[in-house]
Amino acid sequence: MTTPTQSGLMPADSASGTTLHTIVAVMSFLACLTLGAVLTLSRLASEWTEGLSGSVTVQLLPSPQISPEDQLNEALRLVRQWPGIFSARALSRAEAGKLLEPWLGEGTVLEDLPVPQLIEVTLTPGRPVELEGLRHALSDGVPGAQLDDHQRWNQELASFAASSEAVGWAVLLLIALATLAIVIFATQAGLQTHREIVEVVHMIGARDVFIATEFQRHFLWLGLRGGLIGLTLAAFTLIGSGYLWDVREAPVGAQLLPQLISAPYHYIWLLFVPAAIGLIAMGTARLTVLRVLGRMP
Amino acid sequence: MRYGLGPEILRDISFTLEQGSLHLLTGPSGAGKTSLLKLIYLAERPSRGLITMFDREIANTPREDLPALRRRIGVVFQDFRLLDHLTVFENVSLPRRVMGELESSYRAEVEELLSWVGLGNRLNAKPPTLSGGEKQRVAIARAVVAKPELLLADEPTGNVDPDIGGRIMRLFIELNKLGTSVLIATHDQRIIERLPATRIFQLTEGRITTAQTAKDLLPEAKRA
Repeated sequence: MTTPTQSGLMPADSASGTTLHTIVAVMSFLACLTLGAVLTLSRLASEWTEGLSGSVTVQLLPSPQISPEDQLNEALRLVRQWPGIFSARALSRAEAGKLLEPWLGEGTVLEDLPVPQLIEVTLTPGRPVELEGLRHALSDGVPGAQLDDHQRWNQELASFAASSEAVGWAVLLLIALATLAIVIFATQAGLQTHREIVEVVHMIGARDVFIATEFQRHFLWLGLRGGLIGLTLAAFTLIGSGYLWDVREAPVGAQLLPQLISAPYHYIWLLFVPAAIGLIAMGTARLTVLRVLGRMP
Repeated sequence: MRYGLGPEILRDISFTLEQGSLHLLTGPSGAGKTSLLKLIYLAERPSRGLITMFDREIANTPREDLPALRRRIGVVFQDFRLLDHLTVFENVSLPRRVMGELESSYRAEVEELLSWVGLGNRLNAKPPTLSGGEKQRVAIARAVVAKPELLLADEPTGNVDPDIGGRIMRLFIELNKLGTSVLIATHDQRIIERLPATRIFQLTEGRITTAQTAKDLLPEAKRA
């Protein structure tokens, strides 16, 4: 009769092992989703501020000193010549009306309002622009022209994004603490069911480090497997949410909802979750086994 | 010796196990046989008194030195204490494995030992599928696989038929002849009859009351 290769000191699978896997997988799933949400918030915050700081608007109020056509042409000429400006485009009356629709609604009321002419100015990325100089040049050279660099809105949005991100990190911290506590608790419970193994191996002369190494290896793999199951489920959820976002018929307000994860590198960050869970389970197993053994003669 | 704050289980016990000797430890259930064995195989520490083993005083021996001492002792537990998820082969080779030996260095020896105890065809079986007698033999094989200097057996023939019991005793006697000290805790009359010249420690209510040969004890034991 042939003998098989030696198996680990810990049972490969057991009822307690299945429960542990499930608990670890669920906590990993929650931690991955929270991390995904925080990363998305962080990305959105920077996109919002970058999007706004990459553009300014010139508003042309009606002036008795200059005709609207001359006013527009002069303003466009001045802006396009200014260093660091990528492009400048006059918004049509219909486009300007669209911007006001959320506040005033659709209808003919816009036609009766003296809506100012707007010029959308895109800045060249990575190049500093002397906006204060442009503001003075416009107000001096073009009657009725005002430069709006969205500073106030930008600051408010940046502050909102920063506080949302902070809340996200706080939630992530709470989930991480809960995961830590549950993984520690589950690992200790798992060890309790295998206490007999610890005692027997101790009695036949195994050193503490040998036993701790066997147990920590078992729990490292258990943590990694459970963590990866949670990560896989979370990845499906995140990808699924992105898919729904793409195929949706874009109902009113849908554009305001962020896609949970869009940057592929975010998934690399999520890999840290199962790795961290595996290491926590491993460390807990080692400390618990050494403590149990320490109480034995 | 006492457990926690409970009564003293063993007291005023003094005896010596000579190197290469064979002893029996008898006494009624609850007399403290298993507790005495636990003290000897270092699973418990005495609450007072001295135990000197392999020329070392156990009370003064640092904890990290105890595994090396335990490896010189083989133990057959009364309840076997086999690991159910490991095969017979793996259970028996466990003491060699914890010593850091490679499987290739002990595989043949373990297989030979298992054949000797009549389990040559059950190498890959798991303990839950074994009978009581088979488990007993696996436990014995595990206790002797690392060629211990002292072998302790707690009721080693309790679950086996006379034929297997005889083989087990022959194994103990053979190991003893090779220089292993053997201490068998039992109240099995067949063992006592089989080893008439063996020195017996009789334990009663936590004290060793007699220390005589099996031949002297036999009539008394038979009367009991």
